[in-house]
Amino acid sequence: MNTLTVALAQSLIVAAFFAGPSSADDDEALKKDLTAVIALNGLPCGQVVAVKVQADNDYAASCKDGNQYRVYLSAAGRVVVETQK
Amino acid sequence: MHVGYMAVLLLLLTGCAHGKPDTVPEPPIAATQPDAPVPGVAKPAGPARPPPTPAAAPAPGAGIPAPSAASKVAPPVAKTPAAAALDLNTLKEELKDTKAIGFFTKVTLKNQVDDLLDQFREFYEGKAKLTLTDLRRSYELLIMKVLSLLQDADQKLASAIVSSREAIWGLLADRTTFANLQG
Repeated sequence: MNTLTVALAQSLIVAAFFAGPSSADDDEALKKDLTAVIALNGLPCGQVVAVKVQADNDYAASCKDGNQYRVYLSAAGRVVVETQK
Repeated sequence: MHVGYMAVLLLLLTGCAHGKPDTVPEPPIAATQPDAPVPGVAKPAGPARPPPTPAAAPAPGAGIPAPSAASKVAPPVAKTPAAAALDLNTLKEELKDTKAIGFFTKVTLKNQVDDLLDQFREFYEGKAKLTLTDLRRSYELLIMKVLSLLQDADQKLASAIVSSREAIWGLLADRTTFANLQG
């Protein structure tokens, strides 16, 4: 019985490890999202390779081609992309 | 032996729960729709509806050289009989619910749709310098953008949009139906 309990606990831990929300997946989804937004605004980027959270719905995105943008949701409900140096 | 089974079973179950495909259609949730209902638009959207505008410019749709998006967009998703044309409200809901595009992308697309609707409004009020041909070009470009975002991850919705493309244009290009859209 003890062995069974231990094994069950172990399998639950393993299962939780695989089933839990992966922050890496979230990160990739955000990069993809911001890449699409920058492209929709007609700005050069290629692909977002790094994202820094500045505030709620406010991100600094670094692109593969070296461009950097601030992407945020304005009070008016518009997504704004600003070029940063 | 039982322990092994249980572990495998647990892993399989959690794997199933986690691996929900993105293309699973989600039922439209009318209650969450913040926009005003669009009178007279819900049912008739379909390819059979004739473009009712007498002032409609020659539709340049198929031959539009969409400047930036078209060059990187793969050929449109093949039409299938199953991809029935959606009505406008359903289309909005499907776009809201799809997991193929992220939150910021959705808001950006909504912004661009709103901008296009503003251009139509100015056109019908006689304030715009744009012609209906220009508006058609903008509309096609926007559709191309949406399709390029959807076609890999949500083919069902992409096909539905392709099927609804002309019907939606028919609504926009007619002053009366456009006025109804604006509520």
